Amino acid sequence: MELVIRLAGAAGQGIQSLGEILARAFFRSGLYLHAELSYHSRIRGGENAFTLRISDQPVFATRKNADLLVVLTEEMWQAYRGKLREGAWVVAEESLGIEGPRVLRLPAGKLAREKLKLPIAMGVILLGAAAKLLGLPEEKLAQALQEVFGEKAGPNLQALSLGYEHGSPPVWELPRPQFGPGERMLLTGGQAVGAGAIAAGCKFLAAYPMTPGTPVMEFLAQRSERFGIVVEQAEDEIAAINMALGAAYGGARAMVTTSGGGFALMVEGLSLAGMIETPVVIHLGQRPGPATGLPTRTSQENLLFALYAGHGEFPRFLCAPRDQESAFYCTIRAFELAEKYQVPGIILTDQFLVDSYAVVPPLDPQRIPVRSHVLSLEELEALPAYQRFALTPSGVSPRALPGLSPHLVLVDSDEHDEFGRITEDLEIRKAMVEKRLKKEKGLKEEVEGPVVYPDVQPSGKTVVLGWGSTFGALREAVEELNSRGGDFLLVHFQDLWPQKWEEIADFLRSARRLITVENNAWGQLGKLLAQETGILPGRHVARYDGRPFVPEELVEVLLREA
Amino acid sequence: MRPEEYLADVEIHWCPGCGNFQIREALVRALAALELPPHRVVLVTGIGQAAKIVHYLRVNGFNGLHGRTIAAAAGLKMVRPDLVVIAESGDGDLYGEGGNHLIHNIRRNVDITVIVHDNRVYGLTKGQASPTAPPGYTTRAQPFGVLSRPFNPLALALALGAGFVAQAFSGDVERTSQIMAAAIRYRGFALVNVLHPCPSWNRVQTFAWYKERIRAVGEEHDPTDFAKAMRLALSDQEVIPVGILYAVEGPTFEERHPVIRRGPPALQPFPALEDLRSVLGEFL
Repeated sequence: MELVIRLAGAAGQGIQSLGEILARAFFRSGLYLHAELSYHSRIRGGENAFTLRISDQPVFATRKNADLLVVLTEEMWQAYRGKLREGAWVVAEESLGIEGPRVLRLPAGKLAREKLKLPIAMGVILLGAAAKLLGLPEEKLAQALQEVFGEKAGPNLQALSLGYEHGSPPVWELPRPQFGPGERMLLTGGQAVGAGAIAAGCKFLAAYPMTPGTPVMEFLAQRSERFGIVVEQAEDEIAAINMALGAAYGGARAMVTTSGGGFALMVEGLSLAGMIETPVVIHLGQRPGPATGLPTRTSQENLLFALYAGHGEFPRFLCAPRDQESAFYCTIRAFELAEKYQVPGIILTDQFLVDSYAVVPPLDPQRIPVRSHVLSLEELEALPAYQRFALTPSGVSPRALPGLSPHLVLVDSDEHDEFGRITEDLEIRKAMVEKRLKKEKGLKEEVEGPVVYPDVQPSGKTVVLGWGSTFGALREAVEELNSRGGDFLLVHFQDLWPQKWEEIADFLRSARRLITVENNAWGQLGKLLAQETGILPGRHVARYDGRPFVPEELVEVLLREA
Repeated sequence: MRPEEYLADVEIHWCPGCGNFQIREALVRALAALELPPHRVVLVTGIGQAAKIVHYLRVNGFNGLHGRTIAAAAGLKMVRPDLVVIAESGDGDLYGEGGNHLIHNIRRNVDITVIVHDNRVYGLTKGQASPTAPPGYTTRAQPFGVLSRPFNPLALALALGAGFVAQAFSGDVERTSQIMAAAIRYRGFALVNVLHPCPSWNRVQTFAWYKERIRAVGEEHDPTDFAKAMRLALSDQEVIPVGILYAVEGPTFEERHPVIRRGPPALQPFPALEDLRSVLGEFL
């Protein structure tokens, strides 16, 4: 059973808050949900649509068409009237003059102005009417409204009641609760990355605001005192990564958060991280490019960029979380692997994942062990001499922090000797290149292979390849196709570099056909796969209009492609 | 410790007669005068001839990217306020490529000392004009002479509210050393612009040229007088002031920051499990 509710209005009408209230009310009713925010890059007017999908089972994808549209402006009515399911209801502000059998019209604007003297409350009035139609008890909505609005809840609670008064009796029967209080979590991908960073012991974040990187910065900033994290808004992204590297040299687990354009500015710093073997975590929330592109939309255009960014050759860890739950664990792993191998760790998300809410099993802060990877005071004391870049079999040199012992710690962006001194000795140069690259061997042993769904061999099947936040939509599409007698297999990547490409090549060889599905035009995973295995997928399902994939459209297109 | 104990026993790649030698001498004298153990000091440098100084000293070092010296130093100081952090590089690095970080870290008032080797040319890339080069100065890259006005680091720093602004001349090692010591001791962002000749590339601002124009700020100068400091900073090229132009203490970034105030953030333990449970509880 599922129900899709869409709230649509202009920026400045509080659509996001209204959506959050409704999502919380369903969550508190023990229902699974996915909520997706689609918005224009502006502060007033334009489009703001919150698509809430309620289900009796976990969902990680959005839908194109809605069962219930709550609409606040004429512009949004025109944009979404064609995206309604059969039998859909519309809850609308009366002045829009929308006619129809299943249209609930409310003088919400008038009520807000005249009864409440609070024009902005129009949205809450419509929300109340919609909630009544959905069969949600008013107490549940009121509780959620207080959670979202806090002290500002007062007059909005009145607005909510007005909505319930003017609403119609329920037309849907909601599923019974699927989980009890405390048994599930509701969060966005951005919050999951932020919580993961805190759990990993992050102590420093520098960032220049850029959508969709900013939610991670704000999440940490609001909890910085509690967890002893220095969160600083840098003058630019170049400063951000160099500040993070200075902090990491001093021993703080450090991160930056940005999008493609900001990451482009950080690239020289990324290369520095590779050279001075100083860990840093980069959260790269993708949006469509090139250049400024579509600032508030989603894309997967930066896979190859994130993988190859940086002059020179050095290892890195690159991971693209598949959903809100895995964004939490991926972030902790990125910190741990960056520290252990003294490499940059990149978390590749996108606007869709960062801004979307989902219901997940409780996050376990102990699942990924967090350990110190620097020399302890006792170890430092026992060392007769110290060399920051000592050559070792694994390529990883013991890492000392400056100022904790008489040992000096020197790092250099020039090629350097074991101590860290600048050198042009070409034998040392060779040894240092080999040392740096050797670290990738260890790192490769720690990566996770792709998820295979269903968990069977690919022989004779059409294999759909994807990565990152498309998992939810692709899994549903494959499930639907197979239930209709199709023979599809999903191979979905989270860890993208390093990766055990030989094993993947062996696995894929018996497939009948390979199709990549990505939010980009090029089929970047396909190119990477071809480069590493010689296997070039025959088809690419591209989406680059800035919107996420939805399962029902994927089913149609995969049927055609297969 | 004696000054020479801060010197690294390595081959030096500066040109004979370069002012960098005197600047290095002045710095080690300052470190010795302040009795700073080498392992408590981090010298953050960028790229260029001046930036190589980190390899010629026996202290901790972060030799980062060209232009990003102050950014790295600021990030380090924010998590390790227990360390003495000195950012040192050339005029091209700190005033050209890295100008933005200079501006915004003055605003932050991070407690770091910024020592700029100002020889008005690019040494390592062979003689192009730097931001402080005078108009008309011709080079292979500027055949028509420099057309832009020179960058005035002292006036800029003062205008942005820097609390410690000084200028030194490499030819006067003792005075330079005293200025550096005062800058390191100063709580907050301290800028020391050190003028020095470049015998290889700068044929105009030679040792003799500076000798004729340098005027030490006298005993009577009041370093808390902002207007006077600004007048000195804006003096024409015929009279070049040397000394501490301005020194007024105010709260540093670290002192104002509620997290850093509690002790070096980098050295705090991982979060306790119950605290993590409570932050994750927000999602329940």
